[in-house]
Amino acid sequence: MAYVALSEAEKTFILHGVEEDFRCDGRSRRDYRPMELETGLVSNASGSARLRLANTDILVGVKTEIDVPNPLTPQFGKLEFFVDCSANATPEFEGRGGSDLAQELILSLQNAYESPFAFDYRTLCLIPGQQCWKLYIDILILECGGNLYDAVSLAAKAALYNTKLPRVTATLLDAGVTDLIISDNPYDCTRIGIDAVPLLVTVCKIGDYCLVDPTAEEEVCSTVSMVVSVSMRDNEAYLSGTHMTGGGSMHRDTMLNSIQLGLSIGEQLNSLLVKMLKSEEGRVGPKRPKTVGFLK
Amino acid sequence: MQTLREFTRKTKRGNILKIVREHYLRDDIGCGSDLCQYCFQNEVYQLTSEHDIKSSIFKFPHYIVLDTNVVLDQIDVLEENVLHNVIVLTTVLNEVKHKSSSIYKRLNEIIHDRTRNFYVFVNEHHKDTYADREPDESANDRNDRAIRLAAKWYDTHLHTSQASKTFQSSGRTATRVVLLTDDAGNRAKAEAEDILVASAADYVKSLEDFPLLVDKLSQKTFENEKQALPQYPPHLSMKELLEGLRYKKLLQGSFQASRENYLEGNVNVESYEKGILIQGRESLNRAVDGDIVAVELLPESEWSAPSEIVLEEKNVYADDVPSEERVEEEKEMLQQVQTAPAAERTPTGRIVGIVRRKWRQYCGILQPSLIEDTTRHIFVPADRKIPRIRIETRQAAKLQNQRIIVTIDSWPRNSRYPHGHFVRSLGPLGNMATENEVILLEHDVPHCKFSEEVLSFLPKMPWTITEEDYAKRVDLRDLYICSVDPPGCTDIDDALHCRELPNGNLEVGVHIADVSHFIRPGNALDKEAAARGTTVYLVGKRIDMVPELLSSNLCSLVGGVERFAFSCVWEVDNQANVLSKRFHKSVIKSKRAMTYEEAQALIDDSTETGEIAKSLRHLNRLAKILKKRRMDNGALVLASPEIRFQVDSETHEPLEVEAKQMRDTNSMVEEFMLLANITVAQHIAAEFTECAVLRRHPKPPPTNFDPLVKAARYQGFEVAINTGLELAHSLDKCVKADNPYFNTMIRILTTRCMMQAVYFISGSLQKEEFFHYGLAADIYTHFTSPIRRYSDIMVHRLLAASIGADSTYAQLLERKSNEELCNNLNYRHKMAQYAGRASVALNTHLFFRGKEEEEEGYVLFVRKNALQVLIPKYGLEGTLYLKGDKDGKDGLERTKSEVIFTFNEEDHTQRCGNVIFHSFDPVTVRLSLDSSNVQHEKLIFKLVKPYIKGFSVETAPEASTAATAQPPAKKSKKDKKKK
Repeated sequence: MAYVALSEAEKTFILHGVEEDFRCDGRSRRDYRPMELETGLVSNASGSARLRLANTDILVGVKTEIDVPNPLTPQFGKLEFFVDCSANATPEFEGRGGSDLAQELILSLQNAYESPFAFDYRTLCLIPGQQCWKLYIDILILECGGNLYDAVSLAAKAALYNTKLPRVTATLLDAGVTDLIISDNPYDCTRIGIDAVPLLVTVCKIGDYCLVDPTAEEEVCSTVSMVVSVSMRDNEAYLSGTHMTGGGSMHRDTMLNSIQLGLSIGEQLNSLLVKMLKSEEGRVGPKRPKTVGFLK
Repeated sequence: MQTLREFTRKTKRGNILKIVREHYLRDDIGCGSDLCQYCFQNEVYQLTSEHDIKSSIFKFPHYIVLDTNVVLDQIDVLEENVLHNVIVLTTVLNEVKHKSSSIYKRLNEIIHDRTRNFYVFVNEHHKDTYADREPDESANDRNDRAIRLAAKWYDTHLHTSQASKTFQSSGRTATRVVLLTDDAGNRAKAEAEDILVASAADYVKSLEDFPLLVDKLSQKTFENEKQALPQYPPHLSMKELLEGLRYKKLLQGSFQASRENYLEGNVNVESYEKGILIQGRESLNRAVDGDIVAVELLPESEWSAPSEIVLEEKNVYADDVPSEERVEEEKEMLQQVQTAPAAERTPTGRIVGIVRRKWRQYCGILQPSLIEDTTRHIFVPADRKIPRIRIETRQAAKLQNQRIIVTIDSWPRNSRYPHGHFVRSLGPLGNMATENEVILLEHDVPHCKFSEEVLSFLPKMPWTITEEDYAKRVDLRDLYICSVDPPGCTDIDDALHCRELPNGNLEVGVHIADVSHFIRPGNALDKEAAARGTTVYLVGKRIDMVPELLSSNLCSLVGGVERFAFSCVWEVDNQANVLSKRFHKSVIKSKRAMTYEEAQALIDDSTETGEIAKSLRHLNRLAKILKKRRMDNGALVLASPEIRFQVDSETHEPLEVEAKQMRDTNSMVEEFMLLANITVAQHIAAEFTECAVLRRHPKPPPTNFDPLVKAARYQGFEVAINTGLELAHSLDKCVKADNPYFNTMIRILTTRCMMQAVYFISGSLQKEEFFHYGLAADIYTHFTSPIRRYSDIMVHRLLAASIGADSTYAQLLERKSNEELCNNLNYRHKMAQYAGRASVALNTHLFFRGKEEEEEGYVLFVRKNALQVLIPKYGLEGTLYLKGDKDGKDGLERTKSEVIFTFNEEDHTQRCGNVIFHSFDPVTVRLSLDSSNVQHEKLIFKLVKPYIKGFSVETAPEASTAATAQPPAKKSKKDKKKK
C-alpha cells in the first residue's frame, strides 16, 4: 500500500476526528468521497470502465476468449482477474514493488466472485462441457489515493456491465464436434447479468470506531481493516467473502459490527452504481459514443 | 477525421476476437469530374463531358453510379465499349471482390482502360459519404445506404458546381447522376431520397444508339414464361442443405454429366468409390457439369445401373414443348435401366440442391430457329456435357454461322433449359482460327499475347555470352553433343553426348536448356510462365509458355551455336550401370540438331564412323539395356492411338494423316531423359525433403481395371492387376494370332484404366507414395523440358540451389506456395492434354470434309444400342448406332429397319442373324462427314463389313462382286457422331 508519512500529531488529529464522526474532509464515518465513472472507453476491449474515487484512479478492461470449461463444472464459464499496479500510481510500485498488493487484490476479488450465487457462471457457458467464454478482467491502478478494494470492485462491476459478448450460435459438425458461428452484426450482442456481482467494502477500524472509504492518510492510522464483499440477491445483501488486512486484530463484536456496516453500505453503493450505469447507458445509446472524457 | 470500425472475427484456433480498426476519413478526395471547380483533383479527369449517351429515360448528360448487383450480373454489358462516365464506388468494388474474384478482375480491367472513363470514387474514406453501420442494420443494407449516400452526394455536388454563372451562360444542360440498381428495394429507397434511379435492364433498353446491347443483358427471366408450369422439383434452401449435409441426410459432391447420355450423370462423393449415379431429368434437377451439388440417396430398391445407351439430345426449339416422343424415349431409357440385374446396380440418388454453381462461359453455336424474326434462340454448347442454353438475341441471322460465347444466368424451375445471354462472337464456323480459339477457351488455356511487362524481362538482343558466364560454367563446347527431336521442332530442350573414357567406361551426358538462367524468380515473366504452366500443342499451332525469343532462340539448343545448358553427366560401364553422376551448369555447342529419322539413318549406316555416329551407337546400345531393365522391373508399355497431321502451311488445313512412328532413336532419347529425371529426382528429394517438386503416378484402384478385365475375359484372357509387374506380364501374354492389333487394343484399354500422373511437393506425402506406377520408378520428376513445362524450371532452380550454382529464394523453399503451384500445373497439364486431343479431333473432322473413306477398324466396346469402333489409322473412336433413330424432327426420315440386333448381356455381344459382334472384332466402316447441317457437322460411321443385309452400306461398285439387286441403303441412317 502506498506509504504516506504522517506525524503523531496528525494521526491524533485524524483519530479525534473519527471519534467525533467528523473526518478531515468533513465526511461522517459512513460517507463516501465523490466518484467519477465512465464506461466503454477502451474500444479494443469488450467492456471497460474507469473509476475515479477522489485520488484513486482505476481502469478496467474486459477481454473475452473461448475456452473449455473445467471438467468439474462443465456448466460454468471462467473468470480471471489480473491487477497491474502501475508505477504511475506511486514510485513504490516500480519494478515488482506492486506485485504483493496486486496479488492481495486478486485474491480478495477471486474470493468474492467465487460463489456461483455471487456471479452466475452459467451465463458464460456456450456448450456445456465443450466451450465457454473466459473473461479476463484486467485492472489497471493508475493512481492510489486509498480505498483500493472498493474502487477496484466498483470499476470491475461497471466494466462487466459494459461488456458485450458477440452473439454466438453453435452448429453441430461431424462426430459431435461443435462449431461456433458469430453473428455478423456487431450490434448483436449478449450482456452479462450483474445483479448479483459483488462489491467490496473496506471497513477500516481507527481507534474504537469503524468507518468506510478511508483516505490514504486514514489507512495509515488504522491497525486493521476488514474487506466485506457484498452480493445482492432478491434485494437483500449477502456476504460473499471477507478479508482482513493490516497488522492488528479485531474483537468478535467489532467484527460483527463491521460486517453489519459493510453490508448496509454495500447495499446502498450497489443500488447507486446500478442506477448510474443505467442512466449513462440511456444517455449514450447502443452506438459507441465519440471518445470523450478520460481517453479523449 | 477518424472513426473506428469494429468487428468480431473467429481465429483458426476457434477463438473469437474483437478487432478494432482505425478508419480515416478525408476531405481531399476528388470527384473526378471535369465540371467540378471545388474538388482537389490529383489526376486526369476521368469523368468528362466528351461522351454523351442518349437515353430515352434520362434526356440529359449523366454520370452512372453502379450498384453491386449490376456489376455482378451485367459485367458483359459493362465490358462493351458503350457506357462511359461511370462512377465505381469502393463499397461496390469491395463487395464485388468478396463475391466473385473473376468479375472483380474483369471490372478492374475496365477501370484501368482510360478510354472507358470509369472512375473509382473512394466513398468509404470520404468524409461526406462514409456510412457508419447502424444498429439492426445488415451489412448489405449498410452498403446499399452507402451507395445511395454517395449517389446523392454526387448529384448535389455537381449541382453546386454547375450553379455558377459561367456554366449557366454556356447553355449546356446540367449533368446529373443516375443510380443503376437491380434491387427493387434499393430502387424504392433511392426514389424516396430523390435520386435518379433505374434498373440496368430499363436503362440499357433506353439507349437509343445501341439496340444490340440488350442481347448482353443477363436474363433472369423470360417474360412470357412466368406462367409456365414447373418442370423440375424445387431446390432446397441453403439452410436446409447445410442442415441435411451436417446430419448426413444429404451428400455433397461435384456433378459430372455423362458425355454419352444427357439424362445421366455422376456425383463424386468421397465415401462412394464410384460416385452416386443420377438418372433422369428430374433427378438431375438442373445441375450443370462441374457444379457442387447436394444429393439424396435413393432407397436401395430404387437403385439402378448406368445405362449402356448412347443418348444424344435432339434438336429442340425455343418454343420448347417437349414432344411426346421424346418423353417416351426418356421413359423407355429409364425403364431399361431399372430392370438392370441387381449385381450391376450402383448407389443412385437425386439432386436436391446446388451448393455452388460452377457456371462459366461456354462456346458453341446458335441453333437455327424455325420461326423467323424471333429473338429467342437455343444455343448448343460445344461441350456435350453442357445442356443447351436459351438466349435472347436480335442478331440471330448474323450469328447463325459463327462460333459464339454464351454464359448462363439462371435456371428457373419452369424452364427446361437454363437461361443465358450472348457474350461475344469468336468468328465464322469452320475457320481454323475460330475453331482453335474455341478449343483454347473451352480448356481454359491462357493464350493472349505476352504483355509488355513480361517482355521487358527478356534479355536484350543481341545477346552474347560474357567472360563472366564462361567463368561460372563448365565449358563443354568441344564435346560431340547433338540433339534428336521430331521434325520441325524449334524448341529443342535436350541434347546428348557419349564418349569413351580412358578406363574403358563411358561418359554419358544429358544437357538441358538452362531456362532458369533467363527466367528469374518472381518477375512478371516468371509469374506468367507459372500461370501458363505448360506449352500447349495444337495441330499446326503452338501456344508457348515462354516468349518465342526464349523458346525458339536463346534457350533452344540448336546446332552449331553456343548455348547455356544444365548438364547431368554419368559415368557408366558397358552394362549401363551408373558408377557416378554429377550436375553442373555448362556452355555447350551442339554439333548437330537431328530428327529421329536422321539419327536412325546415322546409326544404321555402318559406313559412318564420325564421332557423332559413334556416340549415337553407344547411346542406342545403352538405352536398350536400360529399357530392358525397366521392363523387368514392371514398367508398363501403354498405347494410345496417336497421329500426326501434315498441315497446309497457308490454309492450316490438314492434308495428310499418319500414325506416329516409333523408331529406336525415339526410345533412345526417352530412356536417357527418364534416367536424367530419376537421377535428378533422387538428388533433389534428398537435398530438399520438404519442398522438392516431384511427379508421382498412383496405382489405380482395382475397380478401375474392371472394364479391362471384363473385356479380356470375354476373349479368354486373364489380366492380373495386383502389381505393375504382373500387369505388364499378363499384357504381354494377350496375343491373338488372328488379330495382330488385339494386343495394342488391350493396351489402349489399359491406358484408360490409369490414374493421372501428378506433380506434388515431397513434404506433403509419405515416401512410399512417391511411386511412379507407369514407369515402375520409386521417385520421379520432370527435369528435361524446361522450355515447355514450368515444373522443370522449378526443378532446375532446386537443383541449381543444391549444387550452389544459383541462389535460393524464400518462395522456392516454401511448401505452401509450391503446393499451390503444383495444383495449377496439374490443372494446366490436364487441360493442355485435353486441348491437344480436341485439336486432333477437330482436324480429323476437317480432314474428312468432302471425303468418304473405308477403313479397317475394331470394335472397342459393345453397347446396348451401339458399337464403339476404333479406327487405328486415325486414332479415331466413333459410335456405330445399331438401332434406328426415332426422332424424326431433325429432318431425317424415319427408318423402318427390319434388321434387329439382339444384345447378349452375358458376354457383351450383339447378334444379327448369323453375324455376331464381339469386342475387338475387326470391322470395316465407311467414314464420311455429314455436312447436311453446316452448323453441326458430324462424322458418320457406316458398317461395310461384315455385311448385314439392309443395314450395311454397299461396298464400292468395283469392289462388290456379289452386288445383289439391293436398293442402296438409305442414307444417313444408322449414324453417327464421332466421340
